[in-house]
Amino acid sequence: MSSTLLRLKQVSKCAVNGNWVPRALSTSAQRLAETTLKNDFALLNPEDVEHKKKLQELITVEGTTDLSPISGVPEEHIRERRVRIYEPAKNCMQSGTSNIGHWQIDFDTRERWENPLMGWCSTGDPLSNMQVEFSSKDDAIDYCEKNGWTWFIQKSSLEKNFKPKNYGVNFAWNKRTRVSTK
Amino acid sequence: MASALGRITNLSKTQVGQFIPVLCNTQIAFYSAPPPGTPPPQTKTTFGPLADQDRVFTNLYGRHDWRLKGALKRGDWYKTKEILLKGADWIINEVKVSGLRGRGGAGFPSGMKWSFMNKPGDGRPKYLVVNADEGEPGTCKDREIMRHDPHKLVEGCLIAGKAMGAKAAYIYIRGEFYNEASNMQVAIAEAYQAGFLGKNACGSGYDFDVFMHRGAGAYICGEETALIESLEGKQGKPRLKPPFPADVGLFGCPTTVTNVETVAVSPAICRRGGTWFASFGRTRNSGTKLFNISGHVNRPCTVEEEMSIPLKELIERHAGGVTGGWDNLLAIIPGGSSTPLIPKKACEEAIMDFDGLVAVQTSLGTAAIIVMDRSTDIVKAIARLIMFYKHESCGQCTPCREGVNWMNKMMYRFVDGNAKPEEIDMLWEISKQIEGHSICALGDGAAWPVQGLIRHFRPELEGRMKKFQQAQN
Amino acid sequence: MLRLTVSRALNGAKSSPTCLSVASRYQSDQKKPDKIEVFIDDKPVLVEPGTTVLQAAAMVGVEIPRFCYHERLAVAGNCRMCLVEVEKSPKPVAACAMPVMKGWRVKTDSEMTRKAREGIMEFLLVNHPLDCPICDQGGECDLQDQSMAFGSDRSRFTDIDFSGKRAVEDKDIGPLVKTIMTRCIHCTRCIRFASEVAGINDLGTTGRGNDMQVGTYIEKLFMSELSGNIIDLCPVGALTSKPYSFTARPWEIRKVDSIDVLDAVGSNIIVSTRTGEVMRIVPRVNEEINEEWLADKSRFAYDGLKRQRLVTPMLRDNNGDLNPVDWEAALITVAKVVKHAGNSIGAIAGGFADAEALIALKDLLNRLGSEHLCTERTFPLDGSGTDLRSSYLLNNKIAAVEEADLVLLVGTNPRFEAPLLNARLRKAWVHNETDVALIGPQVDLTYHYEHLGDDPNVLRKINEGDHEFADKLKRAKKPLIIIGAELLERKDGGALLSTVQNLSTKLNSNEDWKVLNVLHKVASQVAALDIGYNPGIDKIKSADLKVLYLLGADGDHINKEDLPKDCFVIYQGHHGDRGAAIADAVLPGAAYTEKQATYVNTEGRAQQTLVAVSPPGRAREDWKIIRALSEIVGAKLPYDNLNQIRDRLDEIAPHLTRYGNAESANYFKQAAELSKKTESAIDCKPIDVKIKELQDYYMTDSISRASPTMAKCVQAVLKQKQSACN
Repeated sequence: MSSTLLRLKQVSKCAVNGNWVPRALSTSAQRLAETTLKNDFALLNPEDVEHKKKLQELITVEGTTDLSPISGVPEEHIRERRVRIYEPAKNCMQSGTSNIGHWQIDFDTRERWENPLMGWCSTGDPLSNMQVEFSSKDDAIDYCEKNGWTWFIQKSSLEKNFKPKNYGVNFAWNKRTRVSTK
Repeated sequence: MASALGRITNLSKTQVGQFIPVLCNTQIAFYSAPPPGTPPPQTKTTFGPLADQDRVFTNLYGRHDWRLKGALKRGDWYKTKEILLKGADWIINEVKVSGLRGRGGAGFPSGMKWSFMNKPGDGRPKYLVVNADEGEPGTCKDREIMRHDPHKLVEGCLIAGKAMGAKAAYIYIRGEFYNEASNMQVAIAEAYQAGFLGKNACGSGYDFDVFMHRGAGAYICGEETALIESLEGKQGKPRLKPPFPADVGLFGCPTTVTNVETVAVSPAICRRGGTWFASFGRTRNSGTKLFNISGHVNRPCTVEEEMSIPLKELIERHAGGVTGGWDNLLAIIPGGSSTPLIPKKACEEAIMDFDGLVAVQTSLGTAAIIVMDRSTDIVKAIARLIMFYKHESCGQCTPCREGVNWMNKMMYRFVDGNAKPEEIDMLWEISKQIEGHSICALGDGAAWPVQGLIRHFRPELEGRMKKFQQAQN
Repeated sequence: MLRLTVSRALNGAKSSPTCLSVASRYQSDQKKPDKIEVFIDDKPVLVEPGTTVLQAAAMVGVEIPRFCYHERLAVAGNCRMCLVEVEKSPKPVAACAMPVMKGWRVKTDSEMTRKAREGIMEFLLVNHPLDCPICDQGGECDLQDQSMAFGSDRSRFTDIDFSGKRAVEDKDIGPLVKTIMTRCIHCTRCIRFASEVAGINDLGTTGRGNDMQVGTYIEKLFMSELSGNIIDLCPVGALTSKPYSFTARPWEIRKVDSIDVLDAVGSNIIVSTRTGEVMRIVPRVNEEINEEWLADKSRFAYDGLKRQRLVTPMLRDNNGDLNPVDWEAALITVAKVVKHAGNSIGAIAGGFADAEALIALKDLLNRLGSEHLCTERTFPLDGSGTDLRSSYLLNNKIAAVEEADLVLLVGTNPRFEAPLLNARLRKAWVHNETDVALIGPQVDLTYHYEHLGDDPNVLRKINEGDHEFADKLKRAKKPLIIIGAELLERKDGGALLSTVQNLSTKLNSNEDWKVLNVLHKVASQVAALDIGYNPGIDKIKSADLKVLYLLGADGDHINKEDLPKDCFVIYQGHHGDRGAAIADAVLPGAAYTEKQATYVNTEGRAQQTLVAVSPPGRAREDWKIIRALSEIVGAKLPYDNLNQIRDRLDEIAPHLTRYGNAESANYFKQAAELSKKTESAIDCKPIDVKIKELQDYYMTDSISRASPTMAKCVQAVLKQKQSACN
């Protein structure tokens, strides 16, 4: 009984001092963590502060990055694959447009075969299911460059000339748009 | 004696038409002038009965000759040339002053509707289309005009046509109206022979043709755009609006579609003055009107009466009262099958005009009063009406095609009580899902009777369901 | 009217407001009216007057659900799914047909809008069979998706216990489109497509109310070369593909973008595959070529890719039988013959040859010292011949056909030679009031045209201004002359082309507008001419060849009798068709769905197909076969992979690798000048086209000849033509 009391006291004391943060109880752990950091900084000499700050920043590397040596992708799949960068067109079976309007990459198709056990489709190509979406063409290109893939862009002609739709032309007296069948 | 009295009061009424403009003119000096075409202010407090002298349709019952000779005797084609020569603006103004509202059901102010046509043309001809496809159950006013007074309509076509600068009028007549079509055709031929129509109609220098086209028996072809489609030789399926027919109508040209009665009263309005016509009925509901009274009344009839006449008085005076007395009344459908019914209590104070019936949650429609006494199976009656709408739905738009069919199925279950009480609310919701969501008003017209029934006869429906449930157990 | 004149008399016309409004009404034709501002869900958007609510919403990325509305069809406004609330309007409005008014506030997600959508959705589902598990549309069905998104979360169709749902008899409208009419939601898209785009007024509605049915009234074939598109258009599973029925589901297929090669239009397609098998082909949107449509042959002939295929190399033995051998044996045998032949080797490229194979074969033969490289299809060589691209391209591009005001078709039947070009022509005819005239046999083009007879001398007369049509052409602001490549295969083709070239130069007033257009029939022709093949096989026939290399040449242009007795014929291609029948050695190649290859369409637009499935058996990509052969022959070609061979293409003609772009041709005047040297005259033989009727359309090449579906189509059309109700 007394020990619990004591501990409670400690907790409140520590919390006030800011040395020990009861994480599980707090909903604002982030904020408290920052305060501890600040307190730590106060104890350090300026060089160390500088060093610590630098560790928290992002590192910018000059020149192009090539991730292929460290990405773990087998070399064959880096050298011999061709990546297509394209803008998917609307599925003409449907009228929805939510799945379009972005850029996408995929890889060239390699041989697939029917799995003799289940009749399912098999492939030896680990990249056959890799389709990555990008908000812009340039992002896609950057990504491919980084990974060392040969890419090409498929030109899309999806822009349609805008013409206001008009219901009245169905009944026009002198135009061929006049509807006869319904 | 009585007729003499009537005549005296009537005389004063016709005189009203003469002095009211003067009155207005004097007021201009003191108040801001009302715009031209404003009907005179309301002075009356009681409406009906209509005096014989004020009747527009004097051969409603076919007691006289309907052909040209008889028509001339009744004053048709009298000084038509002079009316035409006064010009389109004068005619439209007169119709505006008269406060005439469309007699086909919607009640749109006719003067305004006609004036939409009276704008500079772009080379396209304009057409007047007369909607004589009178198919609404309970309604039988236009056919009386067409078989007994066809010259009224022919003359009306000429005047209305002149008002909107139309090149020709097409009368789209219901296919079932064989005799009416026959009489109309004779009347048109007579008018042509007498020089009233065709080139230089009535000697006014205005060329005008009237054609008649017989429909093939679809209720939906009474909807104005469906009628236009049907006239063009296509399936009678309504068009969306806009574009309104005044912009793109028959054969893609500006067109106005009006009801037979609206057109047929216009010569009388022009002859006797808009203010004369406006002197009947309440403001914004003015004029005389053909009422059809059918159902459980002693003498079903079509009668011309003043607008704003109380419903009860109309039935008692002209139809010989409800069978078994007023207390035997169950409900009345006041404006053709598409208007919601009103129970006896509402019937007592209902006033037969546009605003008066809106006040009791129904509408004037075509003023076809269907009276139902206590012997009526009200649920079955409404179910039969819905079946009619189900049969007549054109099938173009979803809510009407699917919804009315669904309502029909449910209504017939309700007749037996083979349903759960929650389904009454569901039916109400379905009717609300149809109303206002369809292309034309047929969906609305099918939804309203159901809504009227649920509004006033819910206990009846629930009672049947309970009974059915008990019989099952 | 009266008031107007009075006010004019009183104030003069200028001050009358009525007059002003009248004036502005008439001016609106010349001047583009200002844009108006409307608010979609409080997002402001500036739109042209007349824009519909639905279009305005699309501009700010708000998608309004729809069933009947389709952007390439007329507005019908009958499904009511697009109802949206407009502030201050008591009723919801149909967004697809309602033009926006200034300052409108449209609420696409308000209570009223949601309620309206839910109601419509419920009504649509009342009579829709919920047979999604066995429906081919399942997974790509608008009704499914929209009922998930906008429908109610529960069913209250209590009548299912009493009366059930509507059932409608299925219609038989041909071997391509399967109908399950109970699923129909009466959106009428198919009807509008048929009458507007396909120009066939066969589909329509019969009956009314709940008994309304979509169909042909009398059971008959839907006789259109574009009939497959109604499958795509159908938002539910009422119209599905008959050959594809019950074969695959949308979520188990892989989609590969590709190019169609069954005509010279180069439609963009999506090849759907599963386990190395092509399951179906659907169009892919390309506004510059096929919009959203696809012709029936391109869509349904894919089953021809699985039949009659050459799957292994073969050599003819002494008995005259072709025996399967392995690649090594085949290549060694062929190489031996080729080596022995020296420079007396020739090659003919067929209609499906891709640019990579063409360049590889040309390089190989050139290295062997031969210049006998021909295409199956002839083209006049008088004047500039094929030296100037302008004389053999559809110079003005397919999309621009819509802008033309007068089109003169010469010796072509675009309806069956290039159905999608014809669809464009019809679109122009309908929407742009374009007039069309035709010199050639009178055929049904699905739109009205002025028939100027089939006498080729009409062309001369028009050129000399000696024909009434010449004035019309002169008056036209944007005239087009489309001349069929088939016509130019005539003996007097040179004279005809030169006449048209002269006429076009005379009519060309605008630099950007090209009057002269040639419509090719096969996919390989433009690329072959660009690369430098000789058009026509006359050269082959006259040369004393020891070896003839047929690169997919199945057009029945050459046979054994045309060749020296000991001529060794090598056939490389994908189908055991006419070419393989006369071959001594057969090398199995890949079809267009099996290789990444370049094709140039009739406009001169380079496009590439992608690998959808791997070639069957031992078949290989065409350029690789030639490359392998070259090594054994001893004239090794300097490219090992696709990039390298494309670099070679780029070296020869850079436009061949600028995929998606149509490189415009130049030197029209020079070509016309050179063509004046043409000595031959137009003869009097009436102009004819090979494909006149629908039954001739379906089977024109080795793929479609191998397709059972296409065979069924031919039979169905012939049967329909015999029936009484045709």
